[in-house]
Amino acid sequence: MSYILEAKDLRKQYPDKLALKNLNLQLSPGEVFCLLGQNGAGKSTTINLFLGFIAPTAGAAYLGGLEVARHPLEIKKLLAYIPENVLLYPHLTGLENLALLSGLAGFKYRESELRDYLTQAGLPPEAAQRRVSTYSKGMRQKVGIASAVAKRAQVLLLDEPTSGLDPKASNEFSELLRLLSGQGTAVFMATHDIFRAKEVGTRVGIMREGELVDVRPTAALNANELEQLYLTHMQ
Amino acid sequence: MRLFRLLFYYEYLHFKAARGLLLLTGLLLAAGLYGIYYGTAEVARQRQHLAELPDLGRHQVAELQTKFPGPADAGDIGYYHQNYALHHPTAWAGLALGQRDVNPYYLKLRLLGLQGQLYASENVNPAKALSGNFDLAFVLVYLFPLLIIALGFNLLSSEREQGILPLLLAQPVSATQLVIAKLAFRLAVVLGLGALLSALGLYWARVPLDGRVGLWLALGGLYCLFWFGVVLLVTAWQRSSSFNAVALLGAWLTLVVLVPSLLSVYVAAARPVPQGLALTIQQREAIHSGWDRPKDETMRQFFAHYPQYRDTTTIRERFVWRWYYAFQYLGDQSAAPLARAYATGQAQRHALAQQLVWLSPALSAQLSFNALAGTDLPAHLAFQQSATRYHDALRALYYPFLFDKIPFTHADYARLPTHSFTSPTDTGAAWAGLGQLLLSVGAVYGLGLTMLRGRAITPR
Repeated sequence: MSYILEAKDLRKQYPDKLALKNLNLQLSPGEVFCLLGQNGAGKSTTINLFLGFIAPTAGAAYLGGLEVARHPLEIKKLLAYIPENVLLYPHLTGLENLALLSGLAGFKYRESELRDYLTQAGLPPEAAQRRVSTYSKGMRQKVGIASAVAKRAQVLLLDEPTSGLDPKASNEFSELLRLLSGQGTAVFMATHDIFRAKEVGTRVGIMREGELVDVRPTAALNANELEQLYLTHMQ
Repeated sequence: MRLFRLLFYYEYLHFKAARGLLLLTGLLLAAGLYGIYYGTAEVARQRQHLAELPDLGRHQVAELQTKFPGPADAGDIGYYHQNYALHHPTAWAGLALGQRDVNPYYLKLRLLGLQGQLYASENVNPAKALSGNFDLAFVLVYLFPLLIIALGFNLLSSEREQGILPLLLAQPVSATQLVIAKLAFRLAVVLGLGALLSALGLYWARVPLDGRVGLWLALGGLYCLFWFGVVLLVTAWQRSSSFNAVALLGAWLTLVVLVPSLLSVYVAAARPVPQGLALTIQQREAIHSGWDRPKDETMRQFFAHYPQYRDTTTIRERFVWRWYYAFQYLGDQSAAPLARAYATGQAQRHALAQQLVWLSPALSAQLSFNALAGTDLPAHLAFQQSATRYHDALRALYYPFLFDKIPFTHADYARLPTHSFTSPTDTGAAWAGLGQLLLSVGAVYGLGLTMLRGRAITPR
């Protein structure tokens, strides 16, 4: 079976710390994998390894069957990345930022199409033409989502994407993730939010001190059981 | 290419939004325009002075003709009549004044000893000399790097510090592509500004459009490219914007101010040259001792140089002009070894400086611009040699009158030689400077690109 995202004995050792210990993981198209763990557990390191921002000490990360370290530009056509805090050029409008990000990904959209993507992502229509310096964090997050959709990414790498969003915005975000996964997009989301993970994830993994210590299908657990499982691993 | 165009366009949007940079670019444009005005106005002033001197000479002749209505002793005429050696500027001089502000652009020469007259010039305002020339070459060599630094100190660090870089590098674009596109836009701004100012300067100074125009543009372009290479080098280091700014300003201070100053001190120490004042004193002492020396001895020494006048009658009078001019001549002869040492020493200094300019591309560019404009040290030395030959010609004209005792009539004024010198532009030196700049550009880009490729750009 071909996986859209795969880690084979993926390891990252810093001089003073083992950040990721031999991660083995596979994601199929349409799957939403939520990675839970405390700060410093290795969640962001895992995402950075899939982005090619850092090189693995051992093992390999694959996207669409391509090894990330060997195909740093090709794999970026397949993925979209939304960090905890989407930061954009503040002096440009939302439309201009989106045109840049989608343009870098190789897509050239008309302004009306870009507006549609922003609206689909939940940005008020009148905000598209405003400078990003006037946006809230949630609005910037929506531009990030719009760029992921416009890029037609096969994999979404999300690093605490709902952190700091209000409940309504978080809910809208979850809806959008469900929509995208329904269309076949694989989602790899690092999060602290157990309930969001249960809500949108198809599988959850628990990471502790760089090691993926447990992986469960979310359908087999209710929210309380997941919380209990998480707390057990964190002790 | 599409990616490059996109990044280039967005750099334009960033530039348009950065009011500080727009203001700085505008200021540099204004500084460049002022530089063109300053240089061309200074050259126009010098040209006007030079144009007035022949009239002044004619006026002096008219005064002498009034003072000496009949045939006169050539000694009187040689003593009172001022002849002018003129150093005309090239059309390029307005763009790079070089040493034309500190060295005399004309000399008043009488039949007296030459050396004292060669180094006698108008006093220069020391405060003005200290501040130097604010010509276009100054703007290009000293101020353009500051704009390049302002445009480039946060080339990639700005995106990193604003947190935008991870999102950009999550797209199928490499950090090298980002850096190159950013550099290309900034280069276009700076080269465009440099080309605009150069075009205006060339037009304003009425420079003839020949191959030297290409050389000027190539020198300016390569010099700017060098500074962008320094920006690339510092960017590849991947430090903060503030660190980059300090590093780049340090590089500017080192290459534009410190190294040229140290080179100047080193060259002066390594190639000691007698001062023009020492020459003048040596000559004056020799001349003054001439008054006390027995006339026979003076004339014997003089005739050793001019045997054709040996038959001249023995001097018994207390004062005769031919004896006076003989010891003037001997004063020059006495200072001749010092004068040769001065000229040779100056040329050796220049040659040594040319060998060392690769240490500072700023100095290389400045000297190349001066060479192209004919305003450098060799141009001045060539003028001094030309003025010396002119003085020789004056002696050659007057001596038969003096020693053969021929009266100097009004008609003889027309036989007085005139002088005009325009230093040729030294394209050879400018080409050499271009080669040095090319090597500097190659070195800095080679190192910068190696560093950029060798050290993965970290988005955070």
